[in-house]
Amino acid sequence: MERDIREDIAWAKINTDVLKSLESPRRLYWVIVFVAMLIFSIGIGCEVYQYNVGLGVANMDNPHVWGLYIATFIFWIGMSHSGTLLSAILLLMGADWRKPIYRFAEAMTTFSLMTAGLFVMVHLGRLWQVYYALPYPNERGVWPNFQSPLLWDAMAIFTYLSSSVLFLFIGMIPDLAICRDHLHPGWRKKLYTLLSLGWEGTDRQWRNFRVAYVTVACFLIPLAVSVHSIVASDFAMSQQPGWHVTSFPPYFVAGALYSGCAAIITLFIILRYVFKFEDYMTLPILKKIARLTFAIAMVWTYLNAVEFASVWYSHDQASKDVLIQKATGPYAPFWWMMNFCGSVVPLVLAFKRFQTSIPVLFAVSLLLNLGMWLERWMIVAPTFSHGYYPWTWDHDQWPSLVQWGMVFGSFGWFTLLFMVFCKVFPSVSMYEVKEMVYHRKMALENKTEGAH
Amino acid sequence: MSVTNLLENWSTFRHFHPVDDKPHEQYKWAMAINLDACTGCNACSVACYAENNIAVVGKDKYAHGQTMHWMRIERYWDEDGREFPDQGAQFLPMMCQQCEAAPCETVCPVGATNHTADGLNSQVYNRCIGSRYCSANCPFKVRYFNWYDYPDQEKVWPEPLPQQLNPDLTVRTKGVMEKCTFCVQRLTAAKSDARNEGRSVRDGDVQTACQQACPAGAISFGNLVDPQSKIAKQWEKQRVELAAHDEQEKDKEGSELRGYRIFEELRAYPSVMYLERVRESAV
Amino acid sequence: MSQHHLLALFNNFDEAEAVISELRSSNIKGFDFDDLTLKSPIEHHDVETLLGDRPAKGQWFTLFGALMGGLLGFFLISGAQANFFSQHKGGKPIVPIPANFVLTYEMFILGGVFISVLGFLICAGLPAKRSPLYSSKVSIDQIGILLKADASAVAAIKAVFTKHRALEIQEEVGK
Repeated sequence: MERDIREDIAWAKINTDVLKSLESPRRLYWVIVFVAMLIFSIGIGCEVYQYNVGLGVANMDNPHVWGLYIATFIFWIGMSHSGTLLSAILLLMGADWRKPIYRFAEAMTTFSLMTAGLFVMVHLGRLWQVYYALPYPNERGVWPNFQSPLLWDAMAIFTYLSSSVLFLFIGMIPDLAICRDHLHPGWRKKLYTLLSLGWEGTDRQWRNFRVAYVTVACFLIPLAVSVHSIVASDFAMSQQPGWHVTSFPPYFVAGALYSGCAAIITLFIILRYVFKFEDYMTLPILKKIARLTFAIAMVWTYLNAVEFASVWYSHDQASKDVLIQKATGPYAPFWWMMNFCGSVVPLVLAFKRFQTSIPVLFAVSLLLNLGMWLERWMIVAPTFSHGYYPWTWDHDQWPSLVQWGMVFGSFGWFTLLFMVFCKVFPSVSMYEVKEMVYHRKMALENKTEGAH
Repeated sequence: MSVTNLLENWSTFRHFHPVDDKPHEQYKWAMAINLDACTGCNACSVACYAENNIAVVGKDKYAHGQTMHWMRIERYWDEDGREFPDQGAQFLPMMCQQCEAAPCETVCPVGATNHTADGLNSQVYNRCIGSRYCSANCPFKVRYFNWYDYPDQEKVWPEPLPQQLNPDLTVRTKGVMEKCTFCVQRLTAAKSDARNEGRSVRDGDVQTACQQACPAGAISFGNLVDPQSKIAKQWEKQRVELAAHDEQEKDKEGSELRGYRIFEELRAYPSVMYLERVRESAV
Repeated sequence: MSQHHLLALFNNFDEAEAVISELRSSNIKGFDFDDLTLKSPIEHHDVETLLGDRPAKGQWFTLFGALMGGLLGFFLISGAQANFFSQHKGGKPIVPIPANFVLTYEMFILGGVFISVLGFLICAGLPAKRSPLYSSKVSIDQIGILLKADASAVAAIKAVFTKHRALEIQEEVGK
């Protein structure tokens, strides 16, 4: 059987291999960072223009008040789900193959949440008044409206972001101590000294560390589920046909896990190459993620079908019309592409030989995320062009280049943050890979002893 | 202390308006529109633009669907194969329905749109941050967003046009939502006049701009709490109830009544009653 | 009597465990077993039984934080709604339970996570100053045993260290 990791890797080698990623990545790394900056600057340009002129330049209109911003917001929130949630679940289940990959997955969570936050901002008509949505005490006694699902969103995202950052940070403390001890003096050494909080790996520290880490993991699982349920409430709690669907919260959570898993595959492949992590991010681990993605893809397909079926079976003519509109109206190409990317493409992952084929997995993971992005768009947009009120039915609308530019730019922003993180902080958990190697070696020795 | 306040007035904080109680003390503004009388002339819409300082966005933005018509006349056609002029259009004036249980109110993240004591659905421009959730959740799609800075950047009122703006209300800046207010500036003035004279607003004291401009007299407006008002009598005659569940008398078998509200089944409890058209079309 | 700090480094957990159990059972004068600290590059469960009863109390912080977070959430939100009467939403009560439940739930988790982390820092004594003797090899692959003992006990302890093949022994005279 293939092994997730070689048991004979020396601990010292783990240190040097991972620390090397902080110093000398392949040249492709700098290419990615540069391209990401370019793409991000396009996004910034669009936002500056929109901020000055007004949201009209996004070419939304009066029935179609939400567009790609909200769709992409949900997309990024969704992508954030697999990192921390999977890491927490696998931690509690004692699946040790999470150890080489969880760090970058959690970083993905953090940064995609930050990207999602940007979309809340650019979506607002009056960005300069965004603080009105915060519950801050003021002499006028004016509060935000706690009944609004958007406010729940803000609360849930704040909780999720800060908890994920804490989870990521706690899990990184022992590694930061390693960096502190072994890197050359400079600003980074000062940073690590500060962040490692004086960690020395004493028994007292380890004992409390484990308790805190598992506790936070326990909180994160229900939290992650609640976050995307709340995002689903933005739609399910509304009264619009096509949105007011009971199965939306689980549907959203499944979609979130799905796109997150696909993103983990994409980033896995990139990091493995860029930082020469072939010994740690191994093909057997990739195979496990590919299988997990396949399973979640099928869950998503099921929930997707349930949504259509329950609308089809209902007597709610308005919702039915929205569905028909999706399949035959102006959005039909995208709707069918979403179904193709979301339900047909993942079937590739069922074949063993593709589960470890890097080019195939890379292409598939990108297609899956394209499908998931389209899914969000297909949830948000068609309801506006075929809502309850007939007046909206003859209004067609197409997002302007400003909207597309910002959607595009957000990928640059995410990649930039993520790549900088991976260069500044160890993206493979050194101490946990040591644990993994150690425990597997012990298990192996016990087995051979038993055989004698 | 707020916890004490919470415990002492718990039942007040928990009552459901408008289903649980008799909600309005002095005023409940309501409207009735007789579709039989409406000729689709758009005078109401023009009057609304003039009264409420609504920006005229121009051809380009109109083509992009970024119009601000608080009051709009919709045209409907029978699908029986007849072309115009064999069949005339059927008109429906549509504006904010001032729902008693408005879907837009609950979803606003900053509480910029609320239910007033007079039964209006208010819109606080200064508080609005432009999330547009209210419009997304409005079943009637009668909320209009300021996609551009119309007064300053877009210069929709070049000199000397600012002179003709109604001084009783503001012009709106970019990024805020707006909608029909039932000419709340007129209501406020009428109420304060009446209060000075120590009485309530009498029927006929106040008219909305659209009502005033309608040559066919299709629109009536008034205080539903006052049983002597025309509007109360109309609602009474059509047996339309403000907080009725799901259907009105008219929807029942064999009814000869004409009064209905749009999307009754969504339980938004609108304040505008329409009188069904009896003629085939307006032409 | 002057106190000495000793740090011994070992190649693997077995040797370190042997040292710990021997020091624990032996009765060296001038050395208290509670002054012994194990330092390791990874967490090691087996050693905990050897070290005896050294509890981790982080859970109490979690309980307190989660409950306070939830209570604070509910009363802050309901209180704010109750004081801001003009924000009436048609069709909904002023203090709506379902909406407030969602926010209370989030605050419950937020409080739980924040206070757990605070509890971790307090219980683990972080941020900490560097201990008297420190070797960066502990963060690579060696197991360290740090202890404090009277000068009289140093020789005996060192003997135990060398017996179990200590790679390196550092010594410092403390206050």
